[in-house]
Amino acid sequence: MLRSAQHDVEGLSMTRVLGSLSFFLSFLLIFPHSGFSESHPQNTLVVSFGSEPKSFNEIVAQETSTTDITGLMFEGLTRFNPETGSVEPRLAESWETSPDGLEWIFHLRRGVEWFDGRPVTSGDVVFTFKKLIYNPSIISAARDVFTLDGKPIAVEALDSSTVLFRLPVPFAPFLLALNQSIFPEHVLQDAVSGGNFQSVWGVDTPPEKIIGTGPFKLKRYVPGERIELVRNANYWKRDPAGTRLPYIERIIGLIIPSADGRLLKFLEGETDFYVLAGTDYPLLKPREASGGFSLKDPGPAAGSYFLVLNQNAPDPTRRSWFQNRVFRQAAAHALDRQSMIDIIFNRQGTPQCSPLSPAIPFFYNSKVPCYEHDPAKSRDLLATQGFKDRDGDGFLEDKEGHAVEFVLLTNAENPERLQMAGMVREDLARIGFKVHFLAVEFNMLVTKLVATHDWDAVLLGLTGETDPHFGSNVWRSDGTLHFWNAGAKVEKREWEMRVDKIFRQAVSVMDRSARKTLYDEWQDIAARELPMIYTVLPRVVYAVRSRIENVRPTALGGALYNIEEIRIKE
Amino acid sequence: MSKLISYLARRLAAALPLFFVLPFITFCLMHLMPGNYFDTLRLNPQISPDTIKKYEALYHLDRPIMAQYFYWLKNLLRLDFGYSFAFKQPVLKVLGSRLGNTFLLSGVSFLMAWLLAVFLGLWAGMRRNSWLDRTLNFAAYAGLSIPSFLLSIFLLAVAAHWGGLPLGGMRSVGYEDMSAVEKCWDVARHLAIPAVVLGFNSWGYLFRIMRAQVAEVAERDFILLLRAHQVSEMKIAVKHIARNALNPMISIFGLELPSLFSGVALVEIVTGWPGLGQIMLQAVRTQDIFLVLGNMVMIAFLLVAGNLLADVLLVAADPRIRLENAQAPYAPVLLRRDRGKSRTEIA
Repeated sequence: MLRSAQHDVEGLSMTRVLGSLSFFLSFLLIFPHSGFSESHPQNTLVVSFGSEPKSFNEIVAQETSTTDITGLMFEGLTRFNPETGSVEPRLAESWETSPDGLEWIFHLRRGVEWFDGRPVTSGDVVFTFKKLIYNPSIISAARDVFTLDGKPIAVEALDSSTVLFRLPVPFAPFLLALNQSIFPEHVLQDAVSGGNFQSVWGVDTPPEKIIGTGPFKLKRYVPGERIELVRNANYWKRDPAGTRLPYIERIIGLIIPSADGRLLKFLEGETDFYVLAGTDYPLLKPREASGGFSLKDPGPAAGSYFLVLNQNAPDPTRRSWFQNRVFRQAAAHALDRQSMIDIIFNRQGTPQCSPLSPAIPFFYNSKVPCYEHDPAKSRDLLATQGFKDRDGDGFLEDKEGHAVEFVLLTNAENPERLQMAGMVREDLARIGFKVHFLAVEFNMLVTKLVATHDWDAVLLGLTGETDPHFGSNVWRSDGTLHFWNAGAKVEKREWEMRVDKIFRQAVSVMDRSARKTLYDEWQDIAARELPMIYTVLPRVVYAVRSRIENVRPTALGGALYNIEEIRIKE
Repeated sequence: MSKLISYLARRLAAALPLFFVLPFITFCLMHLMPGNYFDTLRLNPQISPDTIKKYEALYHLDRPIMAQYFYWLKNLLRLDFGYSFAFKQPVLKVLGSRLGNTFLLSGVSFLMAWLLAVFLGLWAGMRRNSWLDRTLNFAAYAGLSIPSFLLSIFLLAVAAHWGGLPLGGMRSVGYEDMSAVEKCWDVARHLAIPAVVLGFNSWGYLFRIMRAQVAEVAERDFILLLRAHQVSEMKIAVKHIARNALNPMISIFGLELPSLFSGVALVEIVTGWPGLGQIMLQAVRTQDIFLVLGNMVMIAFLLVAGNLLADVLLVAADPRIRLENAQAPYAPVLLRRDRGKSRTEIA
């Protein structure tokens, strides 16, 4: 118990204070209160968002608060199915590829219309790539995705519904990347030629001017407050019985910055979805039956949470420890992951072993070695490398007598991570590491990681990617986020050269199972060599109102990925 | 009238440097923080450093600090407040979309607090050390010391328990289909919790000032004289004590104008009120520099405007004060004393 008290002090922040307060106060609630308020409109889904959309221009958007909304209004040629991990046709009905994987021909679905009734043509696809993504005066992240070996992809319309893509090099996740939304040429070409595309479709744009093809269109946006979307009555997709999708008439998104506010609104019956934090679980679980909702648990989160030691640290002594694989393995054995899960996530979590989360379908390798909590083993491993407590102060010294002492950094904004950093420090102290923990601003941490490289150890998280290739910037030794050996200043070891080769090879192999074999090997190497020491993954739990049917949340795709198939029982 | 205009012009001219210095200090402070807005993109494995460099160049973030500042200042002279990185929109548009909401919340709560403070302060000041005075004093201390976010959460929890009031936000889900009267009622119901929280806090402070003023004026000789002349207690309280005690309250009315916009952020966030507070907090944290600067310029403007308003109101309320010697009353109590003692006469 002493342990958790200690962590509480370290993780103390406004959010936590608010969190625990509301946790106690929420017990005041007598539930069910009165069911839904009378004003809950018919066939309307009400959800809450933590932050507001910053624009409706997906090409220049950088934040999920924008793409969460635009994802309902725009569609790509393909779509990733987070349940199966496969790519499905969307605006494209079918496609074929040349044996070398360099030429791809896409046949557009016929009869698909923009919101304004104009047909979707191959011209729109060419426009999206040539005039938006590859436009030198428009800055967007999409261009980085579609730039292969420094070269763009050639896009050409063969006829009004056929598009040819010519790739400079084979690119295995190409189909997946084509979930890139397509935009209407007839609406946007003026903004592009006028040079003001960067600010087009801002949050003050009249809703009827935002034209996509998706299942929902924008009805109204009240800044910082509320967003309303209505059903696209001409959406191309039909259910097996031939009824036009989507079923839901209207979606209302309330913007509620505080997590407590979102919880209260859900408990009151005003909203239909709630994404649980670990602390909410004991509050919501017992109310499941009486409260008219159910908890859906699609499993561990899609990202990764890890401790990374700087093998290129400025201090030569520390650098030599961190470069030692046995040292890193000893640190991995020291982490008490079960306590992290119990204390930080209220038992809603899983230890992470592979760099890929189990939430990534198909590519996840479940057979990689895991490091169970075993401080004695850590000490034995360290002893083989000459780390002993030579002066009896409880902390280890290396062969030259240097005390094993370093600074652990993490960003101050994330209360769960602060708590985890406190626990990591304590676990490492148990095996004789003297760790000083420092919480810094996110921007400061990023500067240290990618620019100045003056750090020892960092506790960090990365969001999940749909394809392992999209993590190559972290794993390839020439990658810009190759944290542990930035700029590859340390001479590459054999395993690093192998990882480099795997990533280079796997991106050009078209056969999916062959790619899986390669990425399996990478995950195995990563788990053995431990450039990043993985901690735990929280479980993603959604509370869903019982009247909402056919909700199939996944950790990777969220709760609304199959929005057009979701029904409301009135 | 021409006197008033020339006075206002002189005061505005004197305040002009504020509009350059305040943003400059903010600008330097923002630059002391490591990194910039686009750092959030740096940890995205799918965005190349080249793309981030392009962004920095687009917004001149790759230039020296002074160049950036003067670039911004040059645009400010054309009333162009710059561009928000996050919203990809001019700062004025972003601020404008929330200004009304914040103004509604802080205006209503301050007006409520001010009026209640004047009446209750007068009442308590006239009956010092009565049980009523003690109770109000206790309440004022509570208002001053209970953190606003705590009170917000408490009231939200109470509302959740007993129902009756909406749990945060500004409008109901079905707002668009309501009649005009229903719409007003709907916003008023949403306003209740945040306005009470904010109002309670400033009421505590205003009440204490008003009570102290009343107590002080009530001890003066001329009040004794009025009593000796058998003027009714009601008339003494309203016509003589209240009017004399009101001057600092009027100064505060103007001076509080800028704080109306800076003091509401936390309550806005906890109660989900869609005001400036939320976006400003985000802007500071993510270093959306021009949005922060725009807000600073606005607060500086309100500070100056509030001071002027305070002066004009003082002149209007108290014929003894003239514009030539009206000064920005940063220390309202002192100001009143200087003038009060030498000039108070029996009206």
